[in-house]
Amino acid sequence: MKSIAICLLALGAAAPAALAQDVFALRVGRAETISQGTLEHAVILVEGGVITVVGQDLPVERGIPIVDLPDAVVMPGLVNCRTRIGVDSRGGGGADLTARASAELYPRQDVWAELLEVGVTTLGIYPPGTGIPGLAVAVKPEGETASEMIVKDPAYLQFYLRSDRSSKKLFTDAFDKLDKYLEKVEKEREKFEKDLEKEKDKEKKDAAVFKPSQPDDDVRPLLDLVTGRLNAVIGIRKAGDWLHLLDVLKERKFEFALQCDLRDDLDLFYIKDEVGKRGLRVIFDPRVVQHPSTRRERNLPAEFVAAGAKLALSPRADSVRAHEDWLQEVGELVRYGLDRQVALRAMTLEPAHVLGLGDKLGSIEAGRAANFVFYDRDPFDPAVKRLGVMIGGRFVSGDLGL
Amino acid sequence: MRALSWMAVLAAAIACTAPLALAEEPLPALAAGQRGVAVHAARVVTVDETDRVFEPGMVAAVDGRIVYVGAPAGVPEGYEQHRRDEAWAVPGMIDLHAHVLSGGFGDINDMVLSVGPELSTAAAIVPSNRGLRTACAAGVTTLFLIPGSGTSIGGFGVLYKTHTRSTFENAVFANPGGMKVAQTHNPERRGGDLGLTRAGLSWVLGNINDRARAATTAGAEDFALANLQKIHTGELPVLIHCAGSDGAAATVRMWRGTYQTRSVLSHGSLGGHRVAAYAARMGMPVNHGPRTQDYFVSRTGAVEPTAFHYWNSGLPNFSLNTDSPVIPQEELFLQGSMSARQGVPGSQALRALTAHPARAFGIDHRLGSLEVGKDADLVLWSGNPLDPRSRVELVLIDGELQYDRTVHGQWF
Amino acid sequence: MKTAAKHLTMKNFSLLSLFGALTAMAATPLWSAAPQEDEAADAAPTEVDTDADKYVAVIGGDIHTGTGAVLRGATMLVRNGKIRRIGHDIYIPEAAKVVHAHGYSIYPGMVALSASSRITDGTLSADVDDVESGIAAAEMGDGADADVTVEDWVEDWDQDFETTQAFDEAALRASDSYDPFSSFMVLTLAAGITSVESSNLPLKLRRDKLDDVVMGDGGAVNFNWGSPDARRSTAEDFKKAAAYLREYRAWEAAGDKEAKEPSRRGINSGAIKVLRGEGRAKFSADVAHDLLGIARLAQTYGFRPIIDGCREGWIVADELGRAGVSAIVQPRERRPKPDELMVGPAGSSIENAAILHKSGVQVAVKAMNGNVDLSGIAGRDLLALSIDAGFAVRGGLSEAAALQAVTIVPARILGVDHLVGSLEVGKDADFVITDGDLLHYETHVQLAFVLGEVAYEKNEELYYAHIRPRPKILITDGLKPAETAKDGDEATPPVEEPAPGDDPAPEDTPKPEDEPKPGDDPKPEDEPKPEVPPAQAA
Repeated sequence: MKSIAICLLALGAAAPAALAQDVFALRVGRAETISQGTLEHAVILVEGGVITVVGQDLPVERGIPIVDLPDAVVMPGLVNCRTRIGVDSRGGGGADLTARASAELYPRQDVWAELLEVGVTTLGIYPPGTGIPGLAVAVKPEGETASEMIVKDPAYLQFYLRSDRSSKKLFTDAFDKLDKYLEKVEKEREKFEKDLEKEKDKEKKDAAVFKPSQPDDDVRPLLDLVTGRLNAVIGIRKAGDWLHLLDVLKERKFEFALQCDLRDDLDLFYIKDEVGKRGLRVIFDPRVVQHPSTRRERNLPAEFVAAGAKLALSPRADSVRAHEDWLQEVGELVRYGLDRQVALRAMTLEPAHVLGLGDKLGSIEAGRAANFVFYDRDPFDPAVKRLGVMIGGRFVSGDLGL
Repeated sequence: MRALSWMAVLAAAIACTAPLALAEEPLPALAAGQRGVAVHAARVVTVDETDRVFEPGMVAAVDGRIVYVGAPAGVPEGYEQHRRDEAWAVPGMIDLHAHVLSGGFGDINDMVLSVGPELSTAAAIVPSNRGLRTACAAGVTTLFLIPGSGTSIGGFGVLYKTHTRSTFENAVFANPGGMKVAQTHNPERRGGDLGLTRAGLSWVLGNINDRARAATTAGAEDFALANLQKIHTGELPVLIHCAGSDGAAATVRMWRGTYQTRSVLSHGSLGGHRVAAYAARMGMPVNHGPRTQDYFVSRTGAVEPTAFHYWNSGLPNFSLNTDSPVIPQEELFLQGSMSARQGVPGSQALRALTAHPARAFGIDHRLGSLEVGKDADLVLWSGNPLDPRSRVELVLIDGELQYDRTVHGQWF
Repeated sequence: MKTAAKHLTMKNFSLLSLFGALTAMAATPLWSAAPQEDEAADAAPTEVDTDADKYVAVIGGDIHTGTGAVLRGATMLVRNGKIRRIGHDIYIPEAAKVVHAHGYSIYPGMVALSASSRITDGTLSADVDDVESGIAAAEMGDGADADVTVEDWVEDWDQDFETTQAFDEAALRASDSYDPFSSFMVLTLAAGITSVESSNLPLKLRRDKLDDVVMGDGGAVNFNWGSPDARRSTAEDFKKAAAYLREYRAWEAAGDKEAKEPSRRGINSGAIKVLRGEGRAKFSADVAHDLLGIARLAQTYGFRPIIDGCREGWIVADELGRAGVSAIVQPRERRPKPDELMVGPAGSSIENAAILHKSGVQVAVKAMNGNVDLSGIAGRDLLALSIDAGFAVRGGLSEAAALQAVTIVPARILGVDHLVGSLEVGKDADFVITDGDLLHYETHVQLAFVLGEVAYEKNEELYYAHIRPRPKILITDGLKPAETAKDGDEATPPVEEPAPGDDPAPEDTPKPEDEPKPGDDPKPEDEPKPEVPPAQAA
């Protein structure tokens, strides 16, 4: 690792002029890299808003500006993959697979700056309503226009599944449409191949390309889903919903995260082994809840992780205040037994994966966006102070020396 | 006195170890005009202090009072005889919290005065009503027929036997039999009356009690308080409706602590069992029911077996009620079954339906067990009286046959 | 330098690559981890070997088959959720899970008629979901059942379709809202009930899956017998249906293609279904003359009705027996004669179940109500079904018939007696293991199995684990005693006899009784007398 880093630095030195304004190094007391755990005396090289090198006690080429924070702890900018903050429309209860939360985006609100201030650098905004409300969008909380804010659109398809007939019917009806489309394409292909056999002109034969008909707009997201181009988030409200979800999904395969608002009396622990065995990602709010009909406390996020699930944690509400408290509430789960690294990951890389951005941001490693939050000590220490926030290699809060 | 009880030990020992050795007739010959009855059973469960059981056994009574309990013995001429060779003979059951004055709910809450110690249920009782008759056919022989809990003091209740064909005068055991108080919950008043809060309710009760006690001390006569004064002299018992741990604690504190009355805590449900140890320490009997368990009140997630908790807390006296018709009067025994299901030993559950309610109300010199000198209130069951599968074969009250399944058909 | 936004913009997809991806997906396992997650490979799901037969063997217990036979210290072998063998000296496969039930009793799980839909879709906590599901249940569950009557169909001539449709819809509803994690379900299983009739459908109380939960369509057609008009119209329906069927058969026998098929217009399809023997007619009636009317109707048209209620059945039991009636009774029901001066018998009788049974009526016992009573009053709700069977015994029904009244008879009424209701080879392994006689008031269910899987374990659930506690019933992999048997009492079968253990009689020798108190009247006492605590604390 170290030797590669030095090598890269040497390459960088070959063209110092080109990098002069774009390149800088961060030297911090400790980096919570998420992907490689905790790195003491970390050096992070940022080029053009993207992390290029991460290492321990690396020498930095002369001429590259250094942000030297020997007492600071840095972690990736926080990612909340599921929120309705900054948007306020209401939704219905049907299925609208074409609805996009990005259409609701309203830039230049105070709330975005406030979110940046508390260290949130990526947000997943989901469409309103129940049933199948539509497509979520991933944004960064800055930008003059909606398109400047958008990081990925659509980020995921939002579903809700309840243990009742109408809810399950929405699912099956939507996927029936997809099946019909796929059947149609299959027939088209058979016809195409038959026609191709009949074709005598070899040149034409070689040049022929199968062009299936385009799917309808309300089928396209499902097609993206089953081909791995789009994730889904499926919201449930109790353990029983999970079995009904399996019942409607049957043999369908696609990437999805399971979401549930935690509350007292929730019976979700019944399904943790099944969910964990499948290595699913779950999205919870950071809450210690009471076992049904008792005052016995349960750390459901930790239980699901122990069972094998991947965990993303969202703030408990769609307010700036909740985003500000987020870190401490996750810290509370850590004090209740959640693994510290898992907890950090649950606010950064895992939600990034939910948004389909796991290879772009959410950790401190080469190739990821230079989104950072700086703290004066361990982030879960109740006395922690936030020193600054950086997005795309720019400080947007605090001024730590660049 | 001591010598006498030693003699009793000796007699009992002989009766038990060598019942057949008793050759001479222990039953008195009947004088002219005397009414004698002798009942033979496979098993006589006396529910006396030492839980004696005679297998087989016999109970005999003259003019309504028991003259013999023990192994089968010779019966002199003139006795009416009943023989049920498969049956268990058990004392008639006693329910201290019953509202079947006229067969169902109704006529039990006079809501004008928040304290009504002048009132009595005596005027509302319909003798031999259907509720009373079915109760009798189910082995329930004595009821404390009381006012409802709509006001702080609903009035006085009547201790009443469930004679199937009788007049009020013949069936009444004690009138008044005791007072009914509602400490919390139900008597809470709306619309600006005093008693909207626990503080108000407590003041209302405390105020009238203080007045009655002052009158008693001064030797003054106050018509309105005459009956209440009997509570303060200890002449009559008081049954207090309460629920919740706060309500149960307030009940014990006021009626045992402050006023030292012959009081019985009734219901004690919905969390009241948490005060059981306090009640035990203060020597307060608890008459539990109709709720005998709590679901999730204490948020332990468990079904709280409250009857078991009370029994297990060392209470001097634990009894069960139906609050009939909340639970039908005839299903009093099932309150014992459900308590046994929770872990109360069967013999103790039966005691909670017989000897304990009698002792709690100070009427155990006449009721609650099969002992010589007591009222011949006797029920023959086809088996274990706590088992819903057992039926009542025969019921005697005051030595008089009230119900015979083979003659009257099975009522319950 | 690329900006993140540029980098992440969605590319237009081409369908060619799409099908490539589809093919690739087909090869990856279900629920495959995200492709970018390397570390997830370690946590890949381990597949259960579904080819292997799954065996459960219950050994050492007294097996009450529910058919009248009791096998002491016998073995029941279950394969893949079905009963494979019952008896002694049965070979137990090595891979079997062995339940060491020595000293315990095994009974078929009870079948509860007229249960509330909340048993299978309710939750205990009163939150928003609860209210919503309650409303949903009211709207589509309970409300729909009894009211699917002839009146609803009579207008529509194409009723066969309607009837089938109605049952299918109900099946979908019941299974679509089924919540195997409902606390009510746990409590119901704890009461020894493994199947319920909910919204007219027979449902299994399964705790892990939704499969095979709906056992059938209920098999019954409801008819209204509640008013003079309803009685007239129901009788008319049967008359017309019988006439139609005669015509139809004649037409069919004639085989004349030219002849017109008899019209079904105005013919009640439910009645046709009953007369063809495709479903049983179900009535709700209590009063003797109504019961007689049903019996006459049934005898006239040759079908065997189900009568729910049947309060005055004891008065006309012979007639009901001759008509082949199945009765659903509540033994504890207390309804006196409407008028004391009325001549002749009327009202309820504790002997109802016994008298009906003696007259050849199939008797099923239902609980006082179909819900779980959370108010704290014990013994008067669905959980007291075994107590209610006990009340039938009180009225003279035999123990064996009482057990059948809560097992095989309700199963027959629901048309699922080929699956549940007794322990017989080939049937579903739905059974309970108890610490004593199922109908005894002290008996607790220790284990409940549905389709051979543990659905309830007293020691593992919060509700009753602390009440009359007992050591866990040992379950081992294979017959060999587990190594852990040495430490802990888990492996040791309970030494004490199962309930009934506490007859209200002590073993002690009689001791002197207290001297009776002198005096007849309660004497006033100045101070509350100190009460002597009984020896109960010990």
